[in-house]
Amino acid sequence: MIHNNIKVERIISIALVITLFLNILFWFHVRYMQASWDNVPPPPDKKFAAVYGLGDTSFSYRLNGVMLQNMGDVGGRTTSLKDYDYNRLTKWFFLQDSLDPLSNYVPYLATFYFGAVQEPEKFRPVLEYLKEVGMRPYGEKWRWLVYAIQMAKNNMGDKDKALELAYILSSINYDDTPAWVEQMPAFVLTDKGKKKEAYALMLEILKTSADKMHPNEVNAMKYYICQKILEAEEAKINQLCEGIF
Amino acid sequence: MSLPLVKYVLTAAVRDKLILSLTLVMLVGSSLAIFLGGSAIIEKDQFSVVFAAASLRIISVFGLVLFVVFFVRRSFESKDIEFLLSRPVSRLNIIFSYAFAFAILSFVIGIAVGGAIYSVSPHLFGYGHVIWIVTIMVESVIMVNVALFFSMYISSASSASMATLGVYVLGRLMGQLLGISDSTLVDSSGIYAMALQLVSFITPRLDLLGQTSWLIYGYDGSYGLIEAIIQGVFFSALILLATSLDFVRRQF
Repeated sequence: MIHNNIKVERIISIALVITLFLNILFWFHVRYMQASWDNVPPPPDKKFAAVYGLGDTSFSYRLNGVMLQNMGDVGGRTTSLKDYDYNRLTKWFFLQDSLDPLSNYVPYLATFYFGAVQEPEKFRPVLEYLKEVGMRPYGEKWRWLVYAIQMAKNNMGDKDKALELAYILSSINYDDTPAWVEQMPAFVLTDKGKKKEAYALMLEILKTSADKMHPNEVNAMKYYICQKILEAEEAKINQLCEGIF
Repeated sequence: MSLPLVKYVLTAAVRDKLILSLTLVMLVGSSLAIFLGGSAIIEKDQFSVVFAAASLRIISVFGLVLFVVFFVRRSFESKDIEFLLSRPVSRLNIIFSYAFAFAILSFVIGIAVGGAIYSVSPHLFGYGHVIWIVTIMVESVIMVNVALFFSMYISSASSASMATLGVYVLGRLMGQLLGISDSTLVDSSGIYAMALQLVSFITPRLDLLGQTSWLIYGYDGSYGLIEAIIQGVFFSALILLATSLDFVRRQF
């Protein structure tokens, strides 16, 4: 009986050493392997989105938010922004918007993180998302539409799109915005070289809203008209450009 | 209801270090939530409070459910129940004393969770927090009653725990499931949709309680205290009566 026990103990010990050796061999095989990242995953339908947080929409929003922020850059891996699928990202942004339309976290992530993409044209689908969020009259959401205009005009060079967004921006009655938000189409028109239209628009704003604006804002408008829209010769003979502003 | 029995259950909770262990887990959960929230690029406080609320809510329910199930099963296995039945205590008295004691524990844990949420982001504290804490207490009371039912009915502690947590997950997801069945995605008059409607009759709508959005944006008035308390009372009454019926019929 004792002899039998010693025999079994030996067999187990040898098996243990063999399995340890097999484990170490396997470790050498997988040491530098990482789970592959198949780019941005397709987002779930809005109807199922809160399931991630056990029916808690805010929790789902925050969980997805952290996932979007770190996606592609986990486990020592880094992914260039130009390699992300921006169409799917935009779908995620819209999904997140349905979970929490008040938060500024995802718009911020979309603009100041994903907006830094090396190929600005990839950002085009996100413009629609920023437009949707930026059209809301509350909570300073207009800032996201302004960013979309800047992105379209300066990074993507699509001044027509920027003008379209600028007209949308100026047409919405936001809770509280600086005066230049209403003047945005004039800025884009000036950039496009359509200075006559820009001048007409600025003049119209001055005529209709100057009495409601702070004197500094009126002066800033005059400065823009006289220095940016009008040529030096035109400014010299324009009554608006007389005096100090 | 028998006060010595209530005290007996509460003493068991203290003896099992339920309060102490849940407090420790809450400390760890809150710290982890602050750490995770700190990794967000903006709205760090909002992230922390949502992560803390969501995790502490689950932790408290899991802790209470496991305590209730294992306490009741132990009472059967150590013949405590049979001993109690040999005394001048009615069966209904036992059930309602247990339920009352578990409800007290739920309130205590609810206050602890509320304190932890407050400590994570004191500057966000408002009326929404109060509603959140009270509705979380209601949720805990519902779940301890469900745990009492399954632990009385099923003889295996692990099966009773799984069944209770199944009801919890179903209750948390019921709003979503009903939303899907109401949508154009499925035929609302189909057999599965109808079955879901039937199940939803006797499933608590836990998704309406403890909404974490209240902690960030304040209470939106969508689902109030009165509804939460009505739900808690109605569902607890249903499940306690079912438990009582089973216990009264049981042969020892």
